[in-house]
Amino acid sequence: MKDSQAFDHRPDPELGAALRAALEPKDDQKAFVTRVMARYEQTWDRATVPTLDVLASWFRPGIAAAAAALIVGFLFGRTVLAPAPASFDTAMAPLEGPGLAALVTASDPPDASVVLLSLVEQR
Amino acid sequence: MGSSEEDKGLVAKSLAGDRDAFGVLVERYAQQARRVARAVLGDPDDADDAAQDGFLSALVKLAQYDTRRPFGPWLMRIVANAATDRRRRRNVRQAEPLDPSLVGGGPRPDAAAIRSELGEHLRTALGELSERRRTAVVLFDVEGYSHAEIAGILGIPEGTVRSEVFHARRRLRTLLADWKEQGA
Repeated sequence: MKDSQAFDHRPDPELGAALRAALEPKDDQKAFVTRVMARYEQTWDRATVPTLDVLASWFRPGIAAAAAALIVGFLFGRTVLAPAPASFDTAMAPLEGPGLAALVTASDPPDASVVLLSLVEQR
Repeated sequence: MGSSEEDKGLVAKSLAGDRDAFGVLVERYAQQARRVARAVLGDPDDADDAAQDGFLSALVKLAQYDTRRPFGPWLMRIVANAATDRRRRRNVRQAEPLDPSLVGGGPRPDAAAIRSELGEHLRTALGELSERRRTAVVLFDVEGYSHAEIAGILGIPEGTVRSEVFHARRRLRTLLADWKEQGA
């Protein structure tokens, strides 16, 4: 054994042997190897699943999720971005005011009853 | 232990699905992996579980192994990581410091009977060292890896490995010297 204060780059055979004896498994190595190899097939299968198979398993759920997202997005956009139809109150506003403008500029056709009511009121 | 070239041949066969080739690799490195795992964990049963985890993890990652480098350090890194993971899980489970008796392998009368007293002292002394320090000294003095290889296994700078080995040796050599004086 070497001086405990010395810095040595080489392994210490005496300390190494003592540590090896202290850490050496007492049971049969063969039993351990058998135990590891008993899980070989299961682990090998996991190790060799092709990447394309993994991607393929994600394909259908991925397509379904994308389609659902598209539909939700379309409905949301239609609700938020489309101009609201002219309301009854807007239509009932004075002819020169914003009510008429809203009635004229609305992209959707106004309800017929609103138009008739508006005409009746003008008389 | 087989040569580095033989290891590479066995790795290539294992990658091609040769079960026996992988079995030879397990046989070659079984004892070393168990010792390294025990240096980390203390308890021999936990160490065997960790060594097994390490081998199976290596099988899964075998395609990532760089054949220009030696196989042993690559495998020992995986084994050491498996042991460290297991120790962390065990600590979380127990939520209390390690029982010193675990360092010696637990109070199993049949096993304790066949262990030498020096072995018990060394295991206890190892258990008092930090995990990194005891793993470094075992990899250097027992398994014969270089400082550079140990640095790769533990993921720390080479200078830190030298320091860890130095401090571990100082403690263990003192214990060994005291033991010899008592025996003389």
